[in-house]
Amino acid sequence: MQAVQAFFLSAAGGQRLCLLHPPPAGHAVRGGVVYIHPFAEELNRSRRMAAQQARAFAQAGYAVLQIDLDGCGDSAGEFGEARWASWVADGVLARQYLADHLNCAPHALWLWGLRAGCLLAAAVAREDPDTPAKLLFWQPVLSGHQHLNQFLRLKIATDLVKGHRGGGTAELVQQLAAGQVVEVGGYTVAPALAHGLALADLEALSPASRVVCLEVSGSGGQSVSPALEAQLARWQAAGCQATGHAIEGPLFWQLAESEACPALVAASLDAIRGAAA
Amino acid sequence: MRESQRLEAGGDNKQRSGVRVEKEVLNVLDEVLLLKGRGAGFARATPLLGALPELDSMAVLSLITTLEERFGFAIYDDEMDGSVFATLGSLTDFVAAKLGPAVT
Repeated sequence: MQAVQAFFLSAAGGQRLCLLHPPPAGHAVRGGVVYIHPFAEELNRSRRMAAQQARAFAQAGYAVLQIDLDGCGDSAGEFGEARWASWVADGVLARQYLADHLNCAPHALWLWGLRAGCLLAAAVAREDPDTPAKLLFWQPVLSGHQHLNQFLRLKIATDLVKGHRGGGTAELVQQLAAGQVVEVGGYTVAPALAHGLALADLEALSPASRVVCLEVSGSGGQSVSPALEAQLARWQAAGCQATGHAIEGPLFWQLAESEACPALVAASLDAIRGAAA
Repeated sequence: MRESQRLEAGGDNKQRSGVRVEKEVLNVLDEVLLLKGRGAGFARATPLLGALPELDSMAVLSLITTLEERFGFAIYDDEMDGSVFATLGSLTDFVAAKLGPAVT
């Protein structure tokens, strides 16, 4: 296998760390995938699975580009100063870079997101409103508003684990509304990030876009959640080719001890190979 | 806790429902914390918060969200208290109380 190439892309406000996983030398390049990571602590917890999937895609002939968004991971900037719009711009930048690198059109690439990364991938796809996109969603966050609320509740959970009672999330919501940053679980979040996340959804994709959703559950359920079913129906009504699949495995983006989910890797390979065939 | 007294003092139906809720709570714990069957050895008095290294803040949040989704109720900010997550028994009692007496 080709070695992973690490480099920085220049973006507004600083450099973004990128990892490019090329297909093995001499292997025909079958396509490309841009990975958009999830929000806050879920990024750290999912690194191993993302790397594993990226290697599997590369081995199958798909070049994969991973980008650390503004203020995340090893990119420049502070998390506390990041804005939602700058993350969308970073996703667009990464997609354009990989398209140039592979000498193809940006919309020919797959956008692969995990959790809130799916919201960002949808926003990147919407930058080309007239072109169908190809989207692979892992455990998609369907509502940015709900995701923000759950993130704010992490403050209560953190207080609880430390053995004291916090003030609840109402105070945090008020702070954000007043234009102040909030501190949750070791992350500082600026109002411009919180507001952008709160407004984010997965609607308004170009008709004929291909959307493959993979939902992981530890209980080995046969069907996807009712909320995802409803989202799939909305996409289908809007003319997208959208499918959802339930995968049995650990909720790796939440677990401190990172656990692999081989069934997810296999289903993801099937998804992009199937659509390419 | 008032709810637990009510449950334990209840008739056969309530006891049976308590056992069923406990089993379902254990399933959720197993799924969220990846206990890999260790939960089978848990009893009502088994301590959770502070005793299970897997139960960090992300896991507490995940547990709360999964309980909400699995049982179809909302847990409010002011209900999230350390005492709820102290033992398997306290967590089961909390869930049983949220479900209300209609569940038998």
